[in-house]
Parts: sequence; structure tokens; C-alpha cells
Amino acid sequence: MCRLSTRSRNHVTVSGRAGGPVVMLAHGFGCDQHMWRLVVPLLERDFTVVLFDHVGAGHSDPSAWSPERHSTLDGYTEDVLEICRELALGPVTFVGHSVSAMMGVLAAAREPQAFTGLVLLAPSPCFVDDPATGYRGGFSAEDIDELLESLDANYLGWSGAMAPVIMGNPERPELGEELTNSFCRADPDIARVFARVTFLSDNREDLAEVGVPTLVAQCSADAIAPPEVGAFVRTRIPGSRLVTLKATGHCPQLAAPEETAAAITDFVRAGR
Amino acid sequence: MSASGDSESVDQPRPQHPGDDHATFSALLEDSAEDLYEHAPCGYLSTLLDGTIAKINTTLLDWLGYDHGDLVGRRTFSDLLTVGGRLYHETHFGPLLRMQGEVSGIALELKALDGTRLPVLVTSTVKTGGDGRPLLIRTTVFDARDRRAYETELLRARKEAELEREELKRLNATLQQTLLPPTLVNVPGLDVAAHYHVASTDMVGGDFYDLFPLSAGTWGLFLGDVCGKGAAAAAVTSLARYTLRAAAVYDPDPAAVLGNLNTVLHHEYNGHDPRFCTVVFGLLTPEGDRGGFRITLASGGHPPALLLRADGSADHVHTPGGQLMGVLSDAHIATATVHLAAGDTLLLHTDGLTEAHPDGTRGGGRYGDEALLDFVRALAPTTASDTVAAIRDLLDTFGTGVDDDTAVLAINVPRPTSEEQP
Amino acid sequence: MTQLAIRTRTTPAGPVVELTGELDYDSSAQVRALFPELVLRDGSQLVVDLTGVTFCDSSGITALLAARNHALAARAGISLVAVPDHISRIFQMVGLDQVFTTHPTAQAAEAAWTPPKTRP
Repeated sequence: MCRLSTRSRNHVTVSGRAGGPVVMLAHGFGCDQHMWRLVVPLLERDFTVVLFDHVGAGHSDPSAWSPERHSTLDGYTEDVLEICRELALGPVTFVGHSVSAMMGVLAAAREPQAFTGLVLLAPSPCFVDDPATGYRGGFSAEDIDELLESLDANYLGWSGAMAPVIMGNPERPELGEELTNSFCRADPDIARVFARVTFLSDNREDLAEVGVPTLVAQCSADAIAPPEVGAFVRTRIPGSRLVTLKATGHCPQLAAPEETAAAITDFVRAGR
Repeated sequence: MSASGDSESVDQPRPQHPGDDHATFSALLEDSAEDLYEHAPCGYLSTLLDGTIAKINTTLLDWLGYDHGDLVGRRTFSDLLTVGGRLYHETHFGPLLRMQGEVSGIALELKALDGTRLPVLVTSTVKTGGDGRPLLIRTTVFDARDRRAYETELLRARKEAELEREELKRLNATLQQTLLPPTLVNVPGLDVAAHYHVASTDMVGGDFYDLFPLSAGTWGLFLGDVCGKGAAAAAVTSLARYTLRAAAVYDPDPAAVLGNLNTVLHHEYNGHDPRFCTVVFGLLTPEGDRGGFRITLASGGHPPALLLRADGSADHVHTPGGQLMGVLSDAHIATATVHLAAGDTLLLHTDGLTEAHPDGTRGGGRYGDEALLDFVRALAPTTASDTVAAIRDLLDTFGTGVDDDTAVLAINVPRPTSEEQP
Repeated sequence: MTQLAIRTRTTPAGPVVELTGELDYDSSAQVRALFPELVLRDGSQLVVDLTGVTFCDSSGITALLAARNHALAARAGISLVAVPDHISRIFQMVGLDQVFTTHPTAQAAEAAWTPPKTRP
């Protein structure tokens, strides 16, 4: 068996100032590394910027997806660590959006020496409410089931009546290629598993294991990660700092790229 | 819905003055610009970039049961969605809209004031100002109840079809297994190995083999290939397999065994739906003082066996003129007898191996008998398990170029483990 | 989809079936469906012309055997014409080279046919 290079597996791209501090941007559930396209030009002036697609998203190699490895955040975390090892750019500042924030938490707990710091953008360690501890993640288990249904419906309704049925046809992958949206390209079966990983993981206990400088950046009105979740993350990660961006929604890197880039830049500079 | 206003009533008789029609028609058009927005057969909605509803038409308000004042300036588009839809909106719809400036035909569910859900198809575009900066988001909402019911049915049917396909694969695999021995019996003084390569999990293939004890320390073995695939071929395989075993008990002479098989198949399938198989049957007899085994092979139109000698040479065991089983009332059966000494390996195979396309495509050439002979020459001297392992690797390198099932069976007389033993 | 063209014509000796293309699992079913429709008289000759056959697997062989059974049932003969090398190789392997009468051309097959003696 030959092992696939992580560069092609995760469609890794490296840009920006060579020799500058390394900032690695990890996209969340839904789209791919294009999510960062408005902040990348703002970061490239000062930093070496590493972008990648999670396996199953964007231009990653779908054959690298494994139902065992990629049905937990640990598998994705291992992917991240492998990219870091293969690039050998030294310790990086890992910027994880949404579910990728928790991959950063797990990766930094496992190999702290690989990270100068973490920026957790709109993070949530657990989306599902936990009445036993009074934790409010914002969603019930039924809500998450409903999301999974929405995903199914949209792979049907994507662009014209029958296209997504064809998209899901393993015998005719070439038909899916041109119909799939270029930014949110994802195999429906993989997306379904990734949705479960994203919205059903509970990483609250892992937060205390983070020993590297951490910035928690949450949005003003985020339907996915409400303010109390950001506050929870800050109190559980020792020595972390919380900023609330003016940006609304769950994707500040699109809604307010300047503000997001500035928060990342300030954090990296302060750490040096 | 009822049409309002005289101008929209087209069934009434009208005066036939030229120009009147035109006047009525253009009045109808001019009058409807605002009315069309408010009462269009689809919902219209404009929101600020943060999703706050700035404008919404009457159609959509009616669908949802809200008043204008409930929503405008107070709620976001996302608030109108079900929770699952909201998650989808935040993770897919919103980002795509920001990146592409438009998103079309997304299936979502809106929540009406009374709690009912309305399946809709949503299309949004970003309206930009003169300087290219985004100003607001315009959204159209189509009622998709019928369509969603249809799609739900499609999804359900697809899931069901997937389950049935899995079930069919399981059935095929089970049927296939019943046509092969679960494990090969242990023959004292012989190393045996076999492999069955399945070319398609959708169809039962027609290859078969077996190795079994006969009376007085002798052993029977066979390997064959039934023409065709699927249930009909599996029926022939089953018949062939049990006929061979029964016939061998009755008279173990290989030519007689195959003669019986031919008669049975010919009686069963002599008509417009001929079925046949090619098969090689062997009778193994231990050679007593001499050591090793004598094997008499009878072939009914089957590719010749390969003999890999202890001295490193290898060649076909030719059985020329043998005819396939089941077609002719008096098929000719060819036999050959060879001695298997310590270190010799005999390999039986079906033509799925030699008919495979090494470059993985049907257009390319086939592997062929000569290439296989060269391949085993490089292996000799060897053992049964090493031979079968090497052929498995070879099939792996052909990948999808193996378009028919392939069976291989190898037997080997092991060399003495130490020089003291005879 | 596999491509197989079937053309039939009738000569004084009997029907001639010309096959062009690939004779495989899918297309051989078409060929086999054809034979029961051919009129074969006692002593006539069915000719199957394989000039244009580019591929033939065991299903194709089965179709030819079905043709043979059909001809024999009608007490007619069967001849194969222009058997390509790849098919004669399979024929040799499975011992069918002694079963089918073969001719290089359809004309040769027709010339070799002898009409049955008119019965009293």
C-alpha cells in the first residue's frame, strides 16, 4: 500500500511571506478552504499561510476518506497533525473555524510542541444541550436529526430536479462533478457522517488539556455558537482570552474579513 | 385565490374595438407592478446582510400567518427556518451566498406562526451598490410541498434500492459459497491451496472446484467453469458439482466421471437453452514406496493444468481434444497421467485468469496462456500456497481487467523437512 | 451497450445469418432469440457468417451451440463461415473445432451444400 501524500490528500496550499510566522487556517463543516479567501490576502503580507480541505470537502482526495478514521474528530485531528509534520514548517498558529476549532484543541492537547497558539473562531465544544450539567449548546438531539434531514433534502434539491440523485450515484461520478457546487462540493454520504461528527461530538472535557496560548473569537449574533458557549470555552481553557467580534452570523471570515484578519494578526504578533 | 379587479376578468364579452384590447392589456400590466410583488405566486423577501428582514411580500406573510410588523426590522430570515434548516443556512447557504453572490434552488423548511412547516425552494441573490459593495439580499421562496413529497419518495426509494442491492450481494455471496468447499480437506502428504476471485458482486459466477476423499486412500479433485453467470449458471454449477462427486464414488476413473457429467448435462440442457461447462477432473493416488502421488487428469475442454517441477521447470499438462461438457451426446474426453514427486506443484485454473486484460481495459490485449506459463516458470520450484498467493497478487495488479470470475487450485508434494526422512 | 448487428437473408440452401460486432453476454441473447424464427427445412443448411465478429465470449459460443441444436432438431445442417482466429482458438480449447463445419466464405458454404434427394 502506498501512502498518499497529505498535500494531495488534503489539497494543501502554502502562500504568503516565506519565513514569516505560520498561520494554518482550517475550514469548518459545510464548505472548503475558499471560506478563507477574503482573509488570506490580509494575512499573506505578514505570515506564511497554510490552507487545506478536510478529507471529503473541496478538492481533497475522496478515496482517502475512511469510515473508521473520519467518523470521529480524532481522525480529522490526526490529518491536521500529519499535514503539520509533512510540511515541517515548525510550530504553527492554528486557526480553526467552527468544528475545526475543536480539532485544534485536540491537536494542541496531543502535540503541544507543534503549535505556537490557537485561534478558535466561533467554536463550540458541544452543540447539544446537557441538562445534567446545565450546559447549553443551543440545540437538542432532535434539532441535529433535523439538520441531517435537511442535508438529504438538499442533495436532492441542489440544482435542478434530478441532478443530486445522480450526484449520489457511485457508478457515475463524472455526472456529479459538474453539478456539484464548486465551494460546497461534498460527497453526500461523507457530508452526512461529517455532520454527525460535527454536531454530535462532545469535547468539553478536552478544553482543559490545552496548554498553548489561545484566543477565543466569537461573533455577536451567532445562531450556531451562542455567546455563552464562547464564554464556556474561555473559562475551560487555562489562560485563554475571549474577543467578541462585531461580525454577526457564524462565518466572520466572510462577513467581516478585516476584523477577523486583524484579530488573528494581533494574536500572532502578541505571541512573538 | 380569487382574482381581484375587473381588469383581470378576461371571460366577459368585450366590445370589439381595435385598441380597446391593447388599452385593457397595458392597464393590466401597469397596474400590477406593485400588486405583482405583493401577490406574486411566490414569496419575496429582502434582508440586510446580517439577515434582518427589510421587506416581505403579502404572499409569504399569508403563507406564514405573520403580519408585516411582526417581521420587518425585527426578525432575520434564519429565524423563519426550522432549526435544522437554520444550521444548514449558516453552514452552507450563507457562506455560498457570500462567496458566489447567489444561491439557487435550496430546499428549506419555513416555520409558520402556527407551528406548521412549509417546504420551500429558496433562491437568493446579493444586490450590490454602484461601488460593488453588497447592500442587501433578495430572496424568492417557492412553495415546494408537492415537489418535496416527490423528492422524499425518491429518497426513500433510493434507500430501499440500496438495501435491496446489499441484500442481493449478500445472497450472491452466500450462493457462491455453497458452490465451493468451505475449506479444503487435508490430504496427508499434500499441500493444497485454492482461491476464488469474484469479478462482480452483482452476479454469481460459474467457476467451481473441490477436493474430496475417495475409497482406499485415493482422492478426487476437480475445477471447472460453467458458461455464463447468474442464477441459471449457478444451477448448472450445482448440478455439475454434485454429479462429479457422486459419479466419482460410483466409478473413480476420471474419463468415466466426466462421461457421466456430460450425459447428465446433455440430458438436462439439450435444447434452445444449451448450458455447458469445461472441467478438469483428477484422481490422486499415493505412490507408496516411490513416494509422491500419481494423478490422472481428464479434461473436458478445459485449459490445461500447469506442472511446476521441483527442478524449476514448468509446462502444461496437455489434454488435447477434450470437448466441453453438456453439448455433445458423446463428448470426447482426453486424459493424461503424471507423477508428482516431492517439490512438484500442479496448478489448475479457469480462463478468467488468462482472458484477463493486464492493462485493466477491455480494449487491451489478454493475458494469455504463454504469459501464464512464463509466470509460473519464474515461480518454480514452489509450494501450493506460494503459487496461489502469487496468482492472487497477479490478479490484483490486473484490477478491473479481470472481467470474469477466476478459480485456481494448487496441490504440492512438500519436500522432506529434513534430509533423514525419505 | 454492446454493439451487434444481425442481418439475415435466404438462399436456396437455407438461411444465412450475418453477425457484425461483439457477441457477448448481452448481445448473444438477441442472436438466440432469432433462431426459433428461422425457417429450417429437413436437409437445408443454416449458415452463420462470423466475418464481422470482433469479440466472442462463452455466451457467444452458447448462442452458436443453440443454433446448432436448433438446426439438428430440424434435421438441417449448420455451417460457420469466416471463423475469426480468436474464435477458432476458443473452439480448439473446448474441442468444438471438430463439431462445426466451417467454410472461408458464404459462397463456399453454399457450394458445399447438397440438396436433399426429392422424396418419392
